[in-house]
Amino acid sequence: MKKYDVIVIGAGNGGLVAAATAAKRGLSTLLLERHNLPGGAATSFTRGRFEFEPSLHELANYGTPEMPGSVRQLFDWLGLHVKFHEAPGAYRVIKSGPDGFDAVMPTGQEAFINKLEELVPGSRESVTKFFDLGMESLMAFAEFQAKPNNIDWHAIGEKYPHFIHYAKRPYKEVLDELNVPQKAQDIMMAYWCYIGVPGDDFEFAYMGMMLVAYVVMGAYVPTTRSHEISTAILQTLLDNHGDAWFNTEVNRIVVENGKAVGVQIGNETIYGREIIADVIPTTVYGKMMRASDVPERGLKLANARTLGTSGFLVYLGLNKSPEELGIKDYSVFISKTADSSEQFSATKERNKQNDFTIMNCLNLADPGCSPAGTSVLYATKLYFGSSWDDVQPENYAKVKDEIAQQVIDQYESATGVKIRDAVEEIEIATPETFARYLRSPEGEIYGYYGHPWDQMLARTMAINEDDQQMPHLHFCGGSGFLMDGYSSAYQSGFVTANMVAEQLAKQEVTK
Amino acid sequence: MSDLTLQQDLQGLKSLKNERNAAIDAASTRPLPKTFPVNELASKLHPESQFLKIKQVIKHSADERSFVLEPDTEKGTQHLAYFRAGQYISFRLKIGNSYVTRPYAIRSAPADALKDQYIITIKRVKNGFVTSFIFDNWAVGTPVEASAPAGNLYFEPLRDQKNIVGLAGGSGITPFYSLASAIADGTEHVKLTILYGSRQHDHILLAPEFSKILSKTNDVKLINVLSDDDIDGFEHGFITAELIQKYAPKTPYSIFICGPEAMYEFMDKEVKKLNLPAGRIRHELSGNYGSPYHETDYPADSRDKVYQLTVKTRDHEQIISAQSNESILVAMERAGITAPSLCRSGECGVCRSRLISGKVFSPEIIDGRRVADSEYGYIHTCASFPISDVSIEVPVHDLADQFG
Repeated sequence: MKKYDVIVIGAGNGGLVAAATAAKRGLSTLLLERHNLPGGAATSFTRGRFEFEPSLHELANYGTPEMPGSVRQLFDWLGLHVKFHEAPGAYRVIKSGPDGFDAVMPTGQEAFINKLEELVPGSRESVTKFFDLGMESLMAFAEFQAKPNNIDWHAIGEKYPHFIHYAKRPYKEVLDELNVPQKAQDIMMAYWCYIGVPGDDFEFAYMGMMLVAYVVMGAYVPTTRSHEISTAILQTLLDNHGDAWFNTEVNRIVVENGKAVGVQIGNETIYGREIIADVIPTTVYGKMMRASDVPERGLKLANARTLGTSGFLVYLGLNKSPEELGIKDYSVFISKTADSSEQFSATKERNKQNDFTIMNCLNLADPGCSPAGTSVLYATKLYFGSSWDDVQPENYAKVKDEIAQQVIDQYESATGVKIRDAVEEIEIATPETFARYLRSPEGEIYGYYGHPWDQMLARTMAINEDDQQMPHLHFCGGSGFLMDGYSSAYQSGFVTANMVAEQLAKQEVTK
Repeated sequence: MSDLTLQQDLQGLKSLKNERNAAIDAASTRPLPKTFPVNELASKLHPESQFLKIKQVIKHSADERSFVLEPDTEKGTQHLAYFRAGQYISFRLKIGNSYVTRPYAIRSAPADALKDQYIITIKRVKNGFVTSFIFDNWAVGTPVEASAPAGNLYFEPLRDQKNIVGLAGGSGITPFYSLASAIADGTEHVKLTILYGSRQHDHILLAPEFSKILSKTNDVKLINVLSDDDIDGFEHGFITAELIQKYAPKTPYSIFICGPEAMYEFMDKEVKKLNLPAGRIRHELSGNYGSPYHETDYPADSRDKVYQLTVKTRDHEQIISAQSNESILVAMERAGITAPSLCRSGECGVCRSRLISGKVFSPEIIDGRRVADSEYGYIHTCASFPISDVSIEVPVHDLADQFG
């Protein structure tokens, strides 16, 4: 059997882009995936006359042809032809508890600031300052994220001094320092859930950049769910003479003299000059390598980290249109508390305290996503997988139905929109579902939790050391340097493949 | 900002990396866990394979048998997977040169699975390839392999009404038997009225077993509908809209349909007359789709042809023949190719494969593909019929011995 330049394990967002990038750069590439579909969580599933989006809420950093974000640039480079729809407005956030509020936030910096001033008089000045800082972060990011292995921090600092100044400080602390009023902060906190780090812990550079990116560049969804993106990226791999084998489990990464040399599938070893794993290191070092082969730094890093959160989603196909039901928002965040630390803490246990829920109505972004006269809603909650450790097979259905019922009740009561009697199809995904399809430990969907020493900045600064844990073995995906999320995983796949291509080019020169 | 501030800020940033290194240095070198509780739950609920053994064979009549299954612990299945009443398991059989799958509803109650027992009931199909094999070969002690429980014909309280009207034909009664058992033992909380269509009185499956369930609960009702026999105490004719209305509760209800394709097509027209809201009618074809010729959009000049089918799996290629009235999956099975499949009704997507060239016909009724799959040239082999020479790429079967 032939030897590949690059073997990619796992066809999640990171692995797909890594494989397509390597192939497009002329490297012979083999992509191996255990499931029979590409994409990991970036897929779709059908129930009756509905095709559901399993996981994507809003693709960030896409932008317009005139002002393309990093993801659009990447997709253009890969030659994808996926039609995207822009989500209308930024988000609505409903605090349903005491001192509650209901804020419908638009996209566009000016509109967003105006709306906040209307809701929280006196917030304009501080929020304008926030946008200046967030925008600086966004520009700094745009500059270094494509080549994070070779950053001149001093040059970045001279160009973007505020970015460096505020970078590692917690988001909430910076908002306090800017004198952003509490209620405005509450409204500006909602996106913590996309990375799973609460505002007290979340470094300003990333969270500030993320909010500004969504507000300024908007958010996008593909026409036929994430499966379309995954299929299109796979097509780029095939068009560039790459191979993709599905239903194929890698049992072991083959290590010789401390170096990764190939993978074992079935009874056969397939050799590759470089191996890229779109698999969380905990799984690679725990299950896919002989204990004696595991590099010490990699093992210690995995032990030092905390697995990220998993998710709980309720997918609803409704037999009425959004107009008939009175649904007006694409994305609604609902909770009794607006305190992201409280919201985060509640994800550690499976009880009613964990009431932070995001409800999306896909039709508002893409009216053609379901048949005429119907609509698609999906609710998302975060849970640490460990909060499901006690669930047994015989009570599993009951447990998930109970939480789904709470989600429906909560949405109806917060918005006044009645959906219960319009349910034509329902499916529920839990940490078990993610463990089943993604095979991630405890069903995590967010890689590793972002301890302050393990967020985007720290991971970026350590990118070369992390990449050198074992010669010829590399990682990408949701546990990568940009943390979890679609855009982050795509970018990490791109960066890893480029780093690998550079190393292969050096080997050629040495020969 | 001043240069000094920048220097300080850069130092501050670099300290993050030191913190990270300190966290790594302080960490343990203990081996990482190989598995986690949630992953264990996933493998209990959805094992990749279930290795089973026949514990008992119950002969209901010459052509009707139940098989009681238990885990084959020697082969690695310690316990049977729990399921929701109405789900099926797909058996994986090696018959002669062919590797084939067949989905059969688990007709025993979910509670029995906790005691490591499934029962399936099979009606022998005249000249049937698989049922004949099963009747000739399955005896006490025979090892068999099956999938995890699958399928969506189960009661979902957030979607379905509290009254279910089950419309069953032939061996399509089996998922309702499981649901009825689950109602009787308190696992499911729903009322069930079954209209069960058979041709003749002696074709009624599991009649004595049903009587036992009916004696235990008032929440299950069974009405036998005989098309050929006219006997007192039985409805005569077909399951029509009028008949459903006669027996359905006055409160809102959901309809579940399970039976052969011909019955399904007839029922489809009848239930439409009831004008139920979308979502109140659920069905499962259970692998019973036949030939595509009767579909109105079937291209007539493709009828009764034999085409060339090129099957690529990894770096291996094989050319076989494929009849126009049989699915591409069946063509591969005939040729001894081990290809993935599960539901055999176009729904589950396990047989998803890539169409490299050529044309196939995918009947709308069983075309459960994702939209992007249709656009990018993927097919479900169980629901695709060749209408030209065809070349496809099929993923290796996940559970087959991958390299022989």
